[in-house]
Amino acid sequence: MNFKEALNSGKFAVTAEVGPPKGTDIKEMLHDAEALKGKLDAVNVTDNQSAVMRINSLSICKILLDMGHEPILQMTCRDRNRIGLQSDLLGASVLGIRNVLCMTGDHPNAGDHKEAKSVYDIESVQLLRVVDSLNNGKDMMGNDMKGATDFFQGAVVTPEADPVEPQLMKFEKKVAAGANFFQTQAIYDIGKFKEFMTYAKKFPVKILAGLVLLKSAGMANYMNKFVPGIKVPGDLIDELKAAGKGNALDTGINIAARHIRQLKEEEICDGVHIMAIGAEDKVPLIMERAGLL
Amino acid sequence: MIITKKRDLEELKENIKNYNSFFLIGCSECATLCGTGGEPELQAMKETLEAEGKKVTGSFVAKTGCQVLGTKVELKPFKDALAGTDCILVMSCGAGTQTAVELFQDTAVYPTNDSLFLGNMTRMQMFDQRCSLCGKCVLDKTGGICPVTACPKGLLNGPCGGTNEGKCEVSPDMECAWVRIYNRMKRIDQLEEMKKIAEPKDWSAGNTPMNLNAREKKGGG
Ligand code: SF4
Ligand code: SF4
Repeated sequence: MNFKEALNSGKFAVTAEVGPPKGTDIKEMLHDAEALKGKLDAVNVTDNQSAVMRINSLSICKILLDMGHEPILQMTCRDRNRIGLQSDLLGASVLGIRNVLCMTGDHPNAGDHKEAKSVYDIESVQLLRVVDSLNNGKDMMGNDMKGATDFFQGAVVTPEADPVEPQLMKFEKKVAAGANFFQTQAIYDIGKFKEFMTYAKKFPVKILAGLVLLKSAGMANYMNKFVPGIKVPGDLIDELKAAGKGNALDTGINIAARHIRQLKEEEICDGVHIMAIGAEDKVPLIMERAGLL
Repeated sequence: MIITKKRDLEELKENIKNYNSFFLIGCSECATLCGTGGEPELQAMKETLEAEGKKVTGSFVAKTGCQVLGTKVELKPFKDALAGTDCILVMSCGAGTQTAVELFQDTAVYPTNDSLFLGNMTRMQMFDQRCSLCGKCVLDKTGGICPVTACPKGLLNGPCGGTNEGKCEVSPDMECAWVRIYNRMKRIDQLEEMKKIAEPKDWSAGNTPMNLNAREKKGGG
């Protein structure tokens, strides 16, 4: 069952993330990917995440596909203009990649090539439309193509953005532009997320709740301070603190597992997207404790 | 107006090290307001050059330095001074510098300023960029606030996920352009407009070099 079929079947879908490394040594990444095999409905491959230059998403998607994974190609609009984006999408299609996540992308200012010229020729909403157009056999200028793509396209949303209203307006634009599924920015307050889902359920799209594995109280505080749209509630920070240094990661795994269990049991959303950020090897353990394996 | 700032003096000195006599051209418009090319700055430049052992044959503040013909006429009385000059320094914007290049084809011309942006003066000598001359204005759809300029990503369909308590992900010192647009659209009761998907922008409308013949009025074109 591919990702699209899994979501459409009503199965509680699980995705995780693989970050291509900087440099050509992919041993560790392959090792992590191997451990995830057969456990996920799809695996996202990030696109120069945080504007830090790494191997491109497309190549790693192909490698993972050959391993038997179902990759989701993350595509940002930061580094390529409309010609480059469409060309890469066609390339991804002939390589057998079927899922694409359309994003605007972090500004180069966040990364390790701050002097780069940023592109943003088009942006997430428009990219979704481009994918839709390619799926219908035409490029974005309306030119006929020899052979259409068959992508299952998705997008991201930040349910806890501040202010949230313009963010939700953009969410609705993404739905209208053809997004089939959404993977959210990390959420920690399930009560608040339920409110978002009450709203989001009005739309014909699948929502996967984003979960970033908490590794320490320090990390939680850092994210609260510096990562837009992420709010880790005080009681979770206290829980991590109480666990002490040696056990914080294990507690973080428990928190993620507990949240997944609740999201699934209460049928709050259509699945989860687990972002372990550097601890990809812990994803199977999270899933196991969440009762997913 | 065109916002300029003084170039690094050491760089300028390197540019002009092989020349001895200079004529200075300022501008009474933007450069005067920016404090980069009015009378006081020309005087200061004269003193700097003389301290370096250079000769200043004359100086003048053009009324509008980017106006080629007008500047040409204004420069007529300086004919003799200019004849004995081997380098012209233009203390306005890049457009003013190129007026001089056009008028003095056999003389070296150097800019003393960097030209930064088209800006609004918010207070004395404080400037904000509000328009980047993209060639196809979208202010009609954004409540009059320019996202092409004020959003570092130039987004047209609303805020990215980086909005943080109304600030921009690129710098906490910057308001998120799209939060400003949202608030403005709400105030003027145009949120419906904001819900419409903006088509990809025709960036070719801003391709350089551009020119315009505003005389072409006949024929309805
Ligand atoms: S949309 Fe273009 S022309 Fe209009 S204010 Fe912005 S940059 Fe200037
Ligand atoms: S935070 Fe706002 S202004 Fe900054 S890049 Fe995102 S949308 Fe643009």
